[in-house]
Amino acid sequence: MKTAQAGTLESMDCLVTLTEAAPGVGIKINITGASAARFTTAMTKKIKETLAELSVKDMDVAVQDNGALDIVLGARVEAAYGRLTK
Amino acid sequence: MRRTMLYLPGNNPNMLTKGHLFGSDGVILDLEDAVAMVEKDAARILVSKYLKQGEFGGVEVTVRINGIDTEFWKKDLEAIVPMKRLDGIRAPKVDSAETVKILDEEISRLEDKYGVPQGKLKLFCLLETAKGILNAYEIATASPRIAAIIPGGEDLRADLKTERSMDGTELEWARRFVVFAGRAAGVDPLDTVFSRVTDDEGLRKETQFIKQLGFAGKSIIHPNQIRIIHDVFNPTEAEIAKAQKILAAAKEAAERGQGAVTVDGKMVDTPVVKRAEYVLVRAGLA
Repeated sequence: MKTAQAGTLESMDCLVTLTEAAPGVGIKINITGASAARFTTAMTKKIKETLAELSVKDMDVAVQDNGALDIVLGARVEAAYGRLTK
Repeated sequence: MRRTMLYLPGNNPNMLTKGHLFGSDGVILDLEDAVAMVEKDAARILVSKYLKQGEFGGVEVTVRINGIDTEFWKKDLEAIVPMKRLDGIRAPKVDSAETVKILDEEISRLEDKYGVPQGKLKLFCLLETAKGILNAYEIATASPRIAAIIPGGEDLRADLKTERSMDGTELEWARRFVVFAGRAAGVDPLDTVFSRVTDDEGLRKETQFIKQLGFAGKSIIHPNQIRIIHDVFNPTEAEIAKAQKILAAAKEAAERGQGAVTVDGKMVDTPVVKRAEYVLVRAGLA
């Protein structure tokens, strides 16, 4: 399975790792980091929205978060997807 | 006013979020030197999303794109031109009117494509080669988009085959020339960065020098540099009071049908009035 990353572990950033998933598996998300417990719902929503905009139905998503805002999370997912499909 | 334009690394969410809060007159979201080659794609997406969100307060927002000699510049423009919170583009290594033409055509094409008003986006040209400096006036007049010309720092030194000195002797002629070209063309001459970020006295001295030459402001790389530069550029209370007195006297003279008038024993004519008006502009009172 192909894997790609984008982002950093710097303050207000996150490191997003995308791994291709088999058709029908759906979107699987694993979020870790200091604020993961509090913001998992919002972050999961943002990740799913971003992948939907990219027409992605099956993907394994791992996020190491260090306080990333919504737009940063979306940008990192989009960048990782760009690298995965390059 | 463009006293201070703060560079923000384009792949740094922390600085992109907070950068406009430090009080500079403008911010420059940097996709060029501050971004590693392998991160150009991620920085472009990040900067584009920040511009789309548009939370930069009242500061002038520009993006430094990659040079037209790279594979990145067209992708940079495609990502940023449609976004609502973009005032201008800072283009590196502009060395002729031809470079401006190439940039202008691509920006115009994208403005049309995305329904952005034609000419909305200003161009800030970095003159980073000896050729660019020598062509400063033709560059400054090559398009109505040009808002400012800026001499290079390190790149220009490299092109001149010299090194950085404490007093910047190697850039002195280029600075003077850029002021002449910018003022003749009616665009802002803006100075390059001062890279010794902990040398406050050195920054103050350099800012006093470039203000005296006629520069409208300076590019900066650290928020701590803002206060010092504004201190130098802001008129003192005595200068403001004097300017107000001159303008009041000139207005009164004009109402009486007189051309020139005397204030505190000195003749006030058109250039003096213009300078007084500029003092109030710098003070934010006009």
